[in-house]
Order: sequence, then C-alpha cells, then structure tokens
Amino acid sequence: MSAAIVAQGVRRTSLAQRYPSILMGSLCVLAVVLSFYSLSVGATDVSMGDVFNAVVGNTSDQAAQIVVQFQLPRVLLAWLVGIALAVSGAVMQGVIRNPLAAPDVVGVTKGAGFAGMLLLLAIPGLPVVAVVPAAFAGGLAAAALVYLLAYRRGATPVRIALVGIAVSAAFEAGIRFLLVRNPLDVSAALIWLTGSLFGRSMSSVLEILPWVLVLVPLIVIWSRKLDVLGLGDDLAAGLGEPVERTRRMLLLFAVALAASAVAVSGTIGFVGLIAPHMARRVFGGKHLASIPAAALFGVLLMLFADMLGRGLAPPLEIPAGLVTAVVGGPYFLYLLVKTGK
Amino acid sequence: MSVDTVVKPAQDAVHKRPKIVTSRQRVTWVSLALLVVVVAGVVWGLSIGSQQISLARLPGAIFRADQPDELILQSIRLPRVVLALLVGAALAVAGALMQAVAANPLAAPEIMGVNAGAVFVVVMAITIVPSLSGAPTILLSFGGAAAAGVAVMLLAGSGGGRVSPVRLALAGVTASSLLISLTQVLIIFDENSADSVLFWLVGGVNFAGWQDIRNLLPWLAVGLVGAFAMARPLNLLALGDDMARGLGQNVERTRMFGSALVIVLCGAAVSVAGPVAFIGLIVPHIMRRLVGSSYTVLLPLCAVAGGVLVLYADIVSRYIKPPFEVPAGVVTALIGAPIFVYLARRQKVTS
Repeated sequence: MSAAIVAQGVRRTSLAQRYPSILMGSLCVLAVVLSFYSLSVGATDVSMGDVFNAVVGNTSDQAAQIVVQFQLPRVLLAWLVGIALAVSGAVMQGVIRNPLAAPDVVGVTKGAGFAGMLLLLAIPGLPVVAVVPAAFAGGLAAAALVYLLAYRRGATPVRIALVGIAVSAAFEAGIRFLLVRNPLDVSAALIWLTGSLFGRSMSSVLEILPWVLVLVPLIVIWSRKLDVLGLGDDLAAGLGEPVERTRRMLLLFAVALAASAVAVSGTIGFVGLIAPHMARRVFGGKHLASIPAAALFGVLLMLFADMLGRGLAPPLEIPAGLVTAVVGGPYFLYLLVKTGK
Repeated sequence: MSVDTVVKPAQDAVHKRPKIVTSRQRVTWVSLALLVVVVAGVVWGLSIGSQQISLARLPGAIFRADQPDELILQSIRLPRVVLALLVGAALAVAGALMQAVAANPLAAPEIMGVNAGAVFVVVMAITIVPSLSGAPTILLSFGGAAAAGVAVMLLAGSGGGRVSPVRLALAGVTASSLLISLTQVLIIFDENSADSVLFWLVGGVNFAGWQDIRNLLPWLAVGLVGAFAMARPLNLLALGDDMARGLGQNVERTRMFGSALVIVLCGAAVSVAGPVAFIGLIVPHIMRRLVGSSYTVLLPLCAVAGGVLVLYADIVSRYIKPPFEVPAGVVTALIGAPIFVYLARRQKVTS
C-alpha cells in the first residue's frame, strides 16, 4: 500500500512538489492568520489588529489583553497538539508502512486516556495538569504492550495495526469501567476524555513544548531513514539500515509525541491519521517535505476544529476532539477506499 | 430451549475443519451445562439487588405480588433477566451469522459499526422527537444498523477480492468512532444526564421493562428462526464460495439473507439495550471451540451462551458499585476486550 503512495508521488509531480517552499510558506501564513482570527472571535469580539497589538505587547486595550490572556494558551496548544499528533502519525505511517496507522490505531491515545482518567478519578480535585505524566506513561505502556503482543520474530506492520485496534478496545473498556465506577465525577472526566482545548493555561503549553521542540526536529533529521524503511525490510537492511532498531526508535519518538499531546488536550482523534495523508497528497512521499507539511496540516485542523467547536452553538462548547472525529472520520474512510485499489 | 432439539445427527453437519468434528455426546454435555448455568443465573439474577429476595420466596413471588419486594421482582428484576437473555441471544447469533457471511473471523456487530450505526440513529430520533419509543425506534435502529454495516462492508471491500480482516477492522472501528462521536455531539446538544450518555455509549439492561421485551420479541423471533433455518446454507458457505456454488448454493442470496438477519437482530437488540459490547465477537468463537463449527448446532448454542453472558454480566455489574446501577455493557467489554486481543494476535496476516 505504501509503495502505491510513493509511486503516486513519483508519477505525478505537482506544482507543489516542484516548489514546496512556496506552498509551505503560504500554508504557514494561513495558519498564522487563522490563529489571530481565532484569538479575535469569541464571547467578546476584538478586531484582529487589536489582538496583534496585544500579542506583541503594545496596547492598553483592556479587552484585547484579556482575550489574549485567556485565548492565547488555547491557540498555542492548538499549534503544538496539531504538530505533535500529525508528526507522530506521519512517522507511524512511515514506520508501520501502513497508510492507516496512527496514534489512535496503535493504542497510544486510548492508553493515555485510560491512565489519565485513572489518576483523575483516583484523586478527585486534582488539577488537570497533574494528569500529564500519568497519561504519558499510559500512552507509552499501551504502545509497548501493542508492540510486545504483535511481536513474533519481528513485528509485522499489519499485526501491529490489528493488535493495536484490539488493545485500544481493551483500554476503551477500562475507560468505560472507570466512568461507571465513579458516576459522580463523570462530567469532568468526560470533558477531558473527548479531547478539548477548553480552559487550558500556559502551563499546559509548557508541558508539551519541550517534547515538540526536541522530537520534531530530530524526526525531520531522520526523515531519510523513514524513506529507506519505506522500501521494505529487506531492501532497507540491504542498504545498511538496522531495520528493527531504527523502527523501534522512530516508533518511540512518535509515541512520545502523541502521548504528550493526549496528556494536555485529551484524546483528539483522527488528526494524526489524516494530516499526514493530506501532506503526502500535496507534497508527495518524501518525508523531508511531507513531515513538516503534515505538521502544518495538523495545526490547521486543530485551529479549525477548536474554532468550530466554540462557534457552532455558543455558549455550548463542542469538544475539539469530537469535531476532528466528525471531520476526520469521513476523510479517513474516503482514504480507505482510495488505498484499496 | 430443550436439549433434545439442539442435538442434531452429526452427519448432517458439514465441517470446514475436520479436526473439530464434535461428537453428539460433547454437544449434549455442553447443552446440559449451559442449561444449568442459565437456571442458576436466572435464580441468582432474580434474588440479588438492593433488596434481597430469599430463594424460598422466589417461586411464589413470580406469580403474585402482595409484598413490595414481590412487586420489585415482577416489574424490575424479571424483565431485566429476560431482556438480558434475549439481547445476548440476538447479539451472539448476529455475530455468528456475520462471521459466516463475511467469511471473516473478526466480523462482529460492534466491530463492523453496525451497533454504533443503530445507536446514532436512535439517539438522533430521540433528540428530535423525545417521546419516540417502540416500533418506530426499532425500525429506525434497523436503518442505522443497515446503513453503517453496508457502508463499512463497501469501504473495506473496495479493494476488490476477499476483504482482509485488517481492512475490515480498520474501516469498522473508524466508522464506529465517527458514529460514536456524532452521538456524543447530539447528547451534548441535548444536555441529557450522564446516565443516558452512559447508556447509549455502553449499553445494558438495567432500565429494562416489560414494554422493551414486547417490542423486541417479534423481531427477535424472526431473526432467530431465520438464522436457525439458514444453518445448512451457512455450513456450505463455510466451504468457500466456489465449493458452495458447486454444491448448488446461491451464495449471494445466502449472504443477503444472512446480512438482513444480522441487521434485524442487532438493530432490535441495540434499540432496547444499547450497544452491549463484544457479545457478537466472542460468543461464537468460544462456542466454536466447544462444539465445532457446524451452524446447525452452533447457532442455537450461541443464542443460549450469549444470553448467559449478558445475564451474568448484568449480575456482576450490580456488585460493582451498589447502589448505583452499572450498565452490563461495561462488564462484557472488560471480558471481551482481552479475547479480542487474543483473536487479533492469532490472525495470520500478510503485509
């Protein structure tokens, strides 16, 4: 399946693939403009110019300052979570060599969700920030479990995907058990579980920032290895790549990114699945281009989902995770049809 | 269901794998064991709860209601036990049918998105018309189940040829999570209580009433009788499409009827009990281990075993957090998920 994608990229070099930097730049601009727009709309509308002044810090407009103080962490988180999930998905799809792989599929999301909730319900009144390390550990543990269960003289990609679905279902069952076991604290846990950027502060931003800052550049540097792995195990080994070890390292990076994202935002589905596909469609199969592009698409998806969730039916807030699922699900199913050929 | 009707002459059966040809004796033992378990479960399920009812008083209390706890028994616990048995039977038989029709060991109502489709449509209908209940709900539930199932099958099968378990699982799980998300959005808009959220996400029989059983029963009868009548064609289908055609089977027709029965069984069960998880996946696998893969024997025994599983899950769920009522679907999910992991791990996969 992945071969087909690579072939597609080679066969049809679009304008975007010949001049990737131009399109990448315009996507970047789009994301920034969308961010400012996201800051300016809300319960009180502030003009985008005022918002810009407030962000750079030379304004006395009280309203703009308040808006920025409350909304800025949210927009920054949309960026970071979008980048983390999308890059994580791109790496997983490259490593597992299955276009359907993603943090949701290999159990990271549900594992992190389960662990986070366990802590949240075990110690009521705990600030949401404290959930981060637990969710992180849960995500890593889930991924390790999937890898171990799928391992039979090497872990074939398809078995990882299949076992991942099953392990996700197991954690889902655990999550539901926790929900019914603690019927009185459900609403707090439910909000966190559906994935939302609501009410996050600057400290959440700082929780995820180091992971993104360290791991994403590292992955971009290693993008060559991903291209090599995409050729298949035998060929990659023939080219001198220690296949199993590289695969494990890259998977670890991807899992860490996804887990940190889930830890701060809850389980936001489908971003890690579809952002890499969008990137590959536009920029082709070379990971050096497609990984940064995937990150940008991830950011756009998150900003869009967050804004839609806030703006669709105020004052009700639809969690961003539900919006991404509703938008991403159909796109993924469409992909499934496309890749079936 | 009496034991005698379950046991059919062994030569009737066509077996896919000769090594699990089961003796009539074994089937008899399994049937007897199931019968004992059912009776024990019914007695247990009737007697425990926030109000204990002693065994000695059970027989009398079923038929007349002078005391408050006898009223509890008749109006709350009895329908709950009966509904558990019925819903379990429906989902387990639907799972066995699905695995036969799709020729795919991971095909099951909850994995193929059928349950999620039914739930979504039912919740949508209830959101729009809050007073909706009974037959219209069940019909809508059929619609949702059918649409989701057909969509997932088409999506997974779009590659042509035999649908791989992985594609099926991926397409089904994605469609399910999409539908569940949409259901959650609906529930948020409706600002329902956490109770109903849990019911439609997890499923259970803790709100069961006689009306539910009256609504379910006709559809269940159609579905189960139809399924049992299809045992022979399904046995032939298990030999592979070409062989079945060679033996004079209309393979497409068998598939279509089988799928229609799955929709009826799942749609009806989900509309009254929510998406009780994993019954359709695990019960057929367990029973196939015990009595072999002849559908003549397998389908009736799956029906009983499915009922047993939901009944016991419901009983266990009453112990989880008394006095809160916990949906039985939580317990079946906890039992089923590890078995799902085991089945997924066992799949022979080629990349």
